Amino acid sequence: MGEEILRNLRKDFLVEFRSRFALNVSIAFAVIATVSLSLTAGGTPFSPLVQSILLWIIIFFSAMNGLSHIFVREEDQATSLFLRITVSVDSVFISKFLYNQIFMMIIIAVVTPLFLFFLQIHVALICYFICTAIAGGMAIASCTTIVAAMVAKAGGRGSLFSILSFPLLLPVLWVSISSTRGALDGSSPAEDASLVFLLAFSGFISAISFLLFRFVWIEE
Amino acid sequence: MTILTRGVIKSFYILMPLAIIMAFLWAPSAAVLGDFSRIIYFHVPLAWVSVLAFLVSGVLSVAYLMDKKKRYRWLDEKSYNSASIGLAFAILTVITGSLWAKLTWGSFWNWDPRETSVVLILLIYIAYFSLRSGLSGNEQRGVIGSSYLILAMIMLPFFVFLAPRIYDSLHPATIINADKRIYLDGRMRMTLLVSVLAFSSLYAYIFHLMNRMLSVKKATEDLHAGD
Repeated sequence: MGEEILRNLRKDFLVEFRSRFALNVSIAFAVIATVSLSLTAGGTPFSPLVQSILLWIIIFFSAMNGLSHIFVREEDQATSLFLRITVSVDSVFISKFLYNQIFMMIIIAVVTPLFLFFLQIHVALICYFICTAIAGGMAIASCTTIVAAMVAKAGGRGSLFSILSFPLLLPVLWVSISSTRGALDGSSPAEDASLVFLLAFSGFISAISFLLFRFVWIEE
Repeated sequence: MTILTRGVIKSFYILMPLAIIMAFLWAPSAAVLGDFSRIIYFHVPLAWVSVLAFLVSGVLSVAYLMDKKKRYRWLDEKSYNSASIGLAFAILTVITGSLWAKLTWGSFWNWDPRETSVVLILLIYIAYFSLRSGLSGNEQRGVIGSSYLILAMIMLPFFVFLAPRIYDSLHPATIINADKRIYLDGRMRMTLLVSVLAFSSLYAYIFHLMNRMLSVKKATEDLHAGD
């Protein structure tokens, strides 16, 4: 199974880096949104709360542009049937899940420094900020993997992915924003449970997604 | 239909008029809020029934996915029916809550954690209806819709129980609270209980009607297919 997952993951990355479509779109969106924001703000200082909201809005919509691609591509290129026959359901889910997690980490790694640079933001608790960004990104990727599989079956309509994901991800965004604000202004207490919530959410939703995936993936 | 089911559905005819009479004539008005407080006998049961309907839709979805031999018919359609009723009741909860908020807090909307939670639950179920529409004509509509309803059901505890207790709320202490005490006068408590039962029987009644309509629709479709 491990080999199968690695093989499938490698295949997904090879296909992605051949066209780099999802990655290009997501990063281009993030860069354009951040630069536009910085340009229109014209150096206006925002409060830590507004900065956190803007950061997570950009991360969320950048993710929405790319995360569904992993399943939509299989349906568009008509390779899903081949994948269904040759690779076990669990391996498909785990490899797609890992792909989305890595993809999300790339987006976070690009968006966050850009955002801090263009909006000239000072982070008071840098470690806590990085942990929040990673935990929030993981939660987004965990939740959107199963939604992407559903959307791919519905014809991969772009707006449907955002509509389905947004309400499910609101608790994550809610907690991530308050936690990021704490990291920016240094007010977050050491025992803040936000990170625990984000990691627990990721674990919980991943487990449910893993159980549900076989129903979505296998056509009867 | 079992005698129990029939009893629950018929009880609506007794419980609902009784709840209305008790709410307006028997229960005392609250000390500070006065007669405005009587909206509690409609707002709280509506909220309860919407959560109940969403839970039923989630449980039916689990049953649909587990029922490999398809022993039970149209479980996905029934879970859709329950989610529809839940959505309607949630909208009524928001409307009655807004009226009450205007009378007690001075504005229709205050972004209170409980208000925010209800809106987010509404968004989740509106998204479910969008997904169902997107899957129109797709053979996997039932499976995918049910999977999303299960995801929605597992998000419910966060919105219903966790968020309003984590964040500071304008709402009074809930019936399930840290002190394990119900802060209501005896007659008010009784009226609320009867009202909750009345609205639950209303849900059972509507759900039963919708499922009967579904059976008729399916039977008609089968007849046309036979022709």
